[in-house]
Amino acid sequence: MPPFGQRRTPTSGPGSRGPGGRGPGGRGPGGRGRNQQQRKKRTCRFCDSKEDYIDYKNEKRLQRCVSEQGRIIPKRITGTCSRHQRQLVVAIKRARHLALLPFLNEAVS
Amino acid sequence: MAAKSKVYETTFIINASLDDPQIDAVAEKVKDLIVKNGGEMMEFVKWGRKRFAYPIKKRNNGFYIVMEFRAPGDIVSKLERHFHLDENVLRFIVIGLDKVALKSRLTGESLIKPAMTSTPMPAEAPAAEAPAKSE
Repeated sequence: MPPFGQRRTPTSGPGSRGPGGRGPGGRGPGGRGRNQQQRKKRTCRFCDSKEDYIDYKNEKRLQRCVSEQGRIIPKRITGTCSRHQRQLVVAIKRARHLALLPFLNEAVS
Repeated sequence: MAAKSKVYETTFIINASLDDPQIDAVAEKVKDLIVKNGGEMMEFVKWGRKRFAYPIKKRNNGFYIVMEFRAPGDIVSKLERHFHLDENVLRFIVIGLDKVALKSRLTGESLIKPAMTSTPMPAEAPAAEAPAKSE
């Protein structure tokens, strides 16, 4: 039997968290919260391939950076760095002007 | 003193319902305009007919041409004016290329390749399979 009172402090000792990890102590600085399953550090794909210039003519490349409806995917999801995201946005908008990319893809609902 | 020249790139879309010689004529006019204004052509790539992502002037495809040239800065407004006046040019874009862009933009062949949408794979030659079966 544990000493009296110890049960009440949820952050003490290992194994004190329930399987869900969502108790009052579950949101600690450890980051154990809702997104426990998948927290992989995404790196900027343009930095990885050492691209300095994002070409609006590279349709295939840009297509991967927009959603099925044609929206620009935010960098918080893709992991693109700020510098490249800024360039990417310009490139996508140029490509849209030339009808290489859709403004809105209505075929997908 | 000679005017400062810069490298520019222009992509424009020509009405695809024209015949090839007519399309060439439209492109040639643009070329002429650049050269006459003291420009120097660096790259001239025909992407060819491509489907639009959305209709432009009730059309679903157009003929894309990419040009790269070095010319003094006043070419841009002249070029834009020309494009606006030419009815067969559906869309255009003129962009100045900076040092970084010049180093790593798509050029020549590599430019055409990513633009091409799914080149049909050559059908498997039945001849290759036949001798294997006979054995």
